Amino acid sequence: MTDRYERQRALAQIGEEGQRRLAKKQVAVIGAGGLGSPVLTYLAQAGVGTLRLVEFDTVGITNLNRQFLYTEKDVGRKKSAAAREKLALLNSEILVEVRDAELTKENAEELIGDADVVVSCLDCISARLIVDEVCIRKKIPVVEGGVSGFFGFVLCVGGDGPCLECLGYDAAMDQKEIPVLGAVAGVIGSLQAAECLKILLGAGEPLYGRLLQYDGISGTFDEIEVKKNEACRLHRRAEAGKEK
Amino acid sequence: MNGNREKGMGDMVEVRLFATFREGRGKVCYLDAAKLVKASDVLEVLRIPQEEVAIYLINGRHSSMEDRVLDGDVLAVFPPVGGG
Ligand SMILES: [Zn+2]
Repeated sequence: MTDRYERQRALAQIGEEGQRRLAKKQVAVIGAGGLGSPVLTYLAQAGVGTLRLVEFDTVGITNLNRQFLYTEKDVGRKKSAAAREKLALLNSEILVEVRDAELTKENAEELIGDADVVVSCLDCISARLIVDEVCIRKKIPVVEGGVSGFFGFVLCVGGDGPCLECLGYDAAMDQKEIPVLGAVAGVIGSLQAAECLKILLGAGEPLYGRLLQYDGISGTFDEIEVKKNEACRLHRRAEAGKEK
Repeated sequence: MNGNREKGMGDMVEVRLFATFREGRGKVCYLDAAKLVKASDVLEVLRIPQEEVAIYLINGRHSSMEDRVLDGDVLAVFPPVGGG
């Protein structure tokens, strides 16, 4: 069969079965900015059946150094609407659900829904911690990624691995208007998309318990083994409310 | 200066720095364990303000500023990288 998936279906990790599997999966992408652009693009192109996009923001001119889902014509439009349009042009065979909402403690569970994987593409740490907590409770793997300037990281949260609070992240660390090079967001978002696809396919070794750190200044990657913190409050709350 | 140091062990503490903490300090620093008591001492030697640290790991585990630092420990220190 010749179709858009030919080049990836040829991979041992995908094949006919893997491609069908992707079509049945649902991924929630929280944030459609610098990380969300590559994540949504590659997941759509790979044929993930349902993409749920959560984004409340409006396209601004300062987004255009990195957020390639949008064009100059989209400035002033809701990102959710503009992103859905662009993704539908990329792949009309998948379903793109958009939720024009800001993720909070109150609505996080509903917004995440029954996703098979959540990809965290947020620009603040407080919301990332909310996502981690809901997902640990619901046993949904999270692919975390973050950028700042020339630097970035990727970490999969789930299983026996640590969450961001285990590592020491705190809601008080939120920063406004973090400087970011578009290409660096592209590197990290692309890695997040690859990790997400691996988890959906049950292929390879996702980055659970391994913090992958990118240094765009020196052009190096570091892998740091990271462990769960037994005193982590986020983990305790999530474990206490865990679904059976 | 450290001839009888075995692989991964010895009287030194290895501090791996990340992102902006590498500026002017390099990627890895080796400090004399005898001159260090707790985690915050390491930051003082490296002139990294505590409030700029997001992740501080000792041997892969979260550490408080009061935690003891021992010979052969591998530390990792990161600023916040939370943008999207
Ligand atoms: Zn935790």
